[in-house]
Amino acid sequence: MTTIAADADHAHHDDHADHKPGFFVRWFMSTNHKDIGTLYLIFAICAGIVGSALSGLMRLELAQEGIQYLPQWAAMMGGEATDTAGKHFWNVMITAHGLIMVFFMVMPAIIGGFGNWFVPIMIGAPDMAFPRMNNISFWLTFVAFFMLFGSMFVTGGSGLGAGTGWTVYAPLSTSGSTGPAVDMAIFSLHLAGAASILGAINFITTIFNMRAPGMTLHKMPLFVWSVLVTAFLLLLSLPVLAAAITMLLTDRNFGTAFYDAAGGGDPVLYQHLFWFFGHPEVYIMILPGFGIVSQIVSTFSKKPVFGYLGMAYAMVAIGVVGFIVWAHHMFTVGMRVDLKMYFTAATMVIAVPTGIKIFSWLATMWGGSLSFKTPMLWALGFIFMFTVGGVTGVVLANGGVDQNLHDTYYVVAHFHYVLSLGAVFALFAGFYYWIPKMSGRMYSEWMGQLHFWTFFIGVNIVFFPQHFLGQQGMPRRYPDYAHAYEYWHHISSLGYLVVLVGLFFFFANVFYTLFAGKKVGANPWGEGATTLEWTLSSPPPYHQFNELPRIA
Amino acid sequence: MMHLIARGKNRTAALAALLALAMVGLGFAAVPLYRLFCQVTGFAGTTMRVSEETASAVPVIDNQTISVRFDSNTAPGLGWTFRPERPRDTLSIGQRDLMIFVAKNLTNRTITATATFNVTPSQAGPYFAKIQCFCFTQQTLAPGEEIRMPVVYYVDPKILEDPDARDVREITLSYTFFPVDEAATGG
Amino acid sequence: MAGIYRILIAFLMALTPLALGSVAASAATTARPVAAPATPAAPAATPVATSADAAAPAADAAAAAPAFEYARPVPGIGQPVVGGLDFQPQVTENGRFAHFLNNAILLPLSVVICLLVLGLLLFVVVRFRAGANPVPSKTSHNTLIEVIWTGIPILILVGVAVPSIDLLARQYAPPPANALTVKVTGYQWYWGYAYPDNGIDEYVSNMLDEQTAAARGEPYHLAADNRMVVPAGRTVKLIVTAADVIHSFAVPALWTKMDAVPGRLNEVTFRADRPGVYYGQCSELCGVNHGYMPIAVEVVTPERFAQWVASKGGHMVAPAPAAAAPAATPAAAPAATPAAAPTTPPSAGATPAAAAPAQ
Repeated sequence: MTTIAADADHAHHDDHADHKPGFFVRWFMSTNHKDIGTLYLIFAICAGIVGSALSGLMRLELAQEGIQYLPQWAAMMGGEATDTAGKHFWNVMITAHGLIMVFFMVMPAIIGGFGNWFVPIMIGAPDMAFPRMNNISFWLTFVAFFMLFGSMFVTGGSGLGAGTGWTVYAPLSTSGSTGPAVDMAIFSLHLAGAASILGAINFITTIFNMRAPGMTLHKMPLFVWSVLVTAFLLLLSLPVLAAAITMLLTDRNFGTAFYDAAGGGDPVLYQHLFWFFGHPEVYIMILPGFGIVSQIVSTFSKKPVFGYLGMAYAMVAIGVVGFIVWAHHMFTVGMRVDLKMYFTAATMVIAVPTGIKIFSWLATMWGGSLSFKTPMLWALGFIFMFTVGGVTGVVLANGGVDQNLHDTYYVVAHFHYVLSLGAVFALFAGFYYWIPKMSGRMYSEWMGQLHFWTFFIGVNIVFFPQHFLGQQGMPRRYPDYAHAYEYWHHISSLGYLVVLVGLFFFFANVFYTLFAGKKVGANPWGEGATTLEWTLSSPPPYHQFNELPRIA
Repeated sequence: MMHLIARGKNRTAALAALLALAMVGLGFAAVPLYRLFCQVTGFAGTTMRVSEETASAVPVIDNQTISVRFDSNTAPGLGWTFRPERPRDTLSIGQRDLMIFVAKNLTNRTITATATFNVTPSQAGPYFAKIQCFCFTQQTLAPGEEIRMPVVYYVDPKILEDPDARDVREITLSYTFFPVDEAATGG
Repeated sequence: MAGIYRILIAFLMALTPLALGSVAASAATTARPVAAPATPAAPAATPVATSADAAAPAADAAAAAPAFEYARPVPGIGQPVVGGLDFQPQVTENGRFAHFLNNAILLPLSVVICLLVLGLLLFVVVRFRAGANPVPSKTSHNTLIEVIWTGIPILILVGVAVPSIDLLARQYAPPPANALTVKVTGYQWYWGYAYPDNGIDEYVSNMLDEQTAAARGEPYHLAADNRMVVPAGRTVKLIVTAADVIHSFAVPALWTKMDAVPGRLNEVTFRADRPGVYYGQCSELCGVNHGYMPIAVEVVTPERFAQWVASKGGHMVAPAPAAAAPAATPAAAPAATPAAAPTTPPSAGATPAAAAPAQ
């Protein structure tokens, strides 16, 4: 440990910007925001592989009527090869897919990865406000992931793993699931939640206190704005989740009855608490995406963002309204009519700031000089696909219509349009946009374009037919279905193969870029790229802005 | 300069942390607050408890009747039968009514249970006033023992002033008995 | 690695047979109804308890009760169709209104908005591509247009909100006094139905296995051994609860969905105006067999309803006395008395009511 102390001490006194600590210290005890960002990105890609593999297995099982593989898979995971264990494994897969994609793919990538990498640089700060806390956040997330992964190998009642759905509704998650798997999954959420709260405190402090001279709040790039709003959403919503799931744990293990009707509790209260967190959570996943898309659209249009203030405050508005619409996830729980009317109306209101954003992106491009590099393609794809997901959101906002569509594949299609085609498109957009900056090497343009088109076509084939399934009445979270649903399920599964091809191009491109990509200078995107990261070398020096930049 | 930044940072972080802690607190506080909210507003079909005095001051509206349905449930494995004496009563709004629920222990061991309840439609909750009931009080039945539990209630005439609830023709009062063997406290 | 290949290959293999053509899919559906007529007599006979095969539990205890045969479902009604795009045909007024709200207002609006955004995107992409517009403008504000694109969506949403709120008000309209009350209880993993006013104690409804469903000409996964039977043209009030975890009672063709929460009663109403068989499925994750607890609702004429009630040993209440009186006599003589009970406050009617469940 002495060497480490000496090293840190040394680094502190060393003004040389490119002095890097040794491998172990650099990557395991990292306090550098760019290194931590890189760790988050690598982690998110790994978790994303697991999450996508799970969705592949699910699409495979759903490709045909009948149970095809589940018992074998349950056996492969170390369980029994019985029908029950197989069906339980199905529930484990839907749970793990949801939790992994939300907590261990999208959030670490978009906030932990891009946020860590570019928020300090974009505001002209040398690092995050609390570098060590930043490191703690990452490793907590890491441990949380393995806690969740481990839960798949211990018993969760009728089979191995937690089969409660990512919403972990009581009483299925309390009296309905014996064994330690659900406890582990809950604990994993605690850790991931704690990591995110620490991260949120870090971002808020950084953005409020470490802006370079002249970088006022109203001059910050929109990506920084989006992370700021997101950090507040995290700070206000995650503690509620923590409280909610803590009470789940005590209900499970210590005989309390917060959600147990038998002891005077109310299972519906859990749903209220969960969705008080859960609705802001979906904005947590999408807002930084909004920010990324704003940067990219502006860069490749060679124009400043249209209606900057409107864009920034639209995000604030989405964040605020996001806290008062949660019960639209619970329209069928038996709520009184005036509440349902309120939540219907309030939910529709969100369409207004979202519309402002869509139209402002279009206006940013209007009159611009557009070039269609890979990041721009993803951003354009994002704008259109998010619109599609948005309008189905307005449909679902109707409490009366939701009485039919609630918990059907229509909902699955909707949230995958805003997340899998929204947030994930923004992630790929950000990846292609910033990979030259992060690695110092340019990606392969043709592979990037192929990645976009195959992925775009693939996810649309996967998810568009799910609207039809939902309208026809196909419920969510079913391992098997009536014969009539097979047609669209089959097509949806075919789409997954196209997605796989897209992902192949992505990974090929990543390897190409890192090992053979052309070296790039400070600003590969030209005059449109005006934010501070493009003033630094690619990759940026290990410690940037020893001399703080001044923003005019 | 560096000092000032460090001070500012710690202040912001402390405030943010406080905010997070406050939200944790709010999350837990939601439990009693939610219950209180339900009791005060009749939200989620929570009924009103009223005293004898309040009840005696309530006018009876003879030309307006409403029916009240009684629903009873037992948790699986409780081993009790539990039924209202009649499936429903029709009464004038404001009129006081008595319903007896009968529970019987069919097993050969002594069992303690407690009942939860709510009314539907939920907008009728605030107007369903109970003067006497057995909700949340523990009942212990010896093997084969039978108990008759009265509920004295009325439907508050204020229901006629609520546009969401005045057309309600039937209110259902539902009870569910759960065993209390598992030291289910708290909550 | 080998495992991954196996999965990939399995994936491809699973997909190929149907990839050869959706023809296969539609052929299969047509095949089923064709196959079914070969055995119509047998399934129809089972409820009467002539054969003691798989459907034995369905044959209700009351052997003396008059026969009631479940109707056969009509393809395309009350169930999904192969390759179907739209909602299932609606058989309630509220359902039709909701369907109208979606198909005539929300869907066109969605399509128009998507096409508008797509059109603008394509226009911008073509018109302002670097080749066509090398010098970008520097416009970054236009208050008027910002006000317009904030204001117009607000107006549109207000316009949408009016029928949406109206739909909610209709769905929540209190049921009339003559509504039929059916109690629905969700269990892991089946449904229980009871008709408290008709003296029909809870009976359970389990999913039919594949052979039995096929033999009865019903869709597997949706077919249930015992159906909920309700009359057409009369409001049905469901009071819904669960015994263990949360379930959700859902029937798409009735535009009805209500969570079944343990320790809590929920209420939802519908009025079907067309006899038929309408299927639904549990719609809240409830454990291992969540996908295997279907809901089958048969809407029948009032006369058939009376018949069914009699076959269950129940009795008809006031609204349909003519049909009820003869039907009640054979099996449920004691149960007939409490029919009068609800109107009389004193506890005289209590004993027979308690006796009825003993059967």
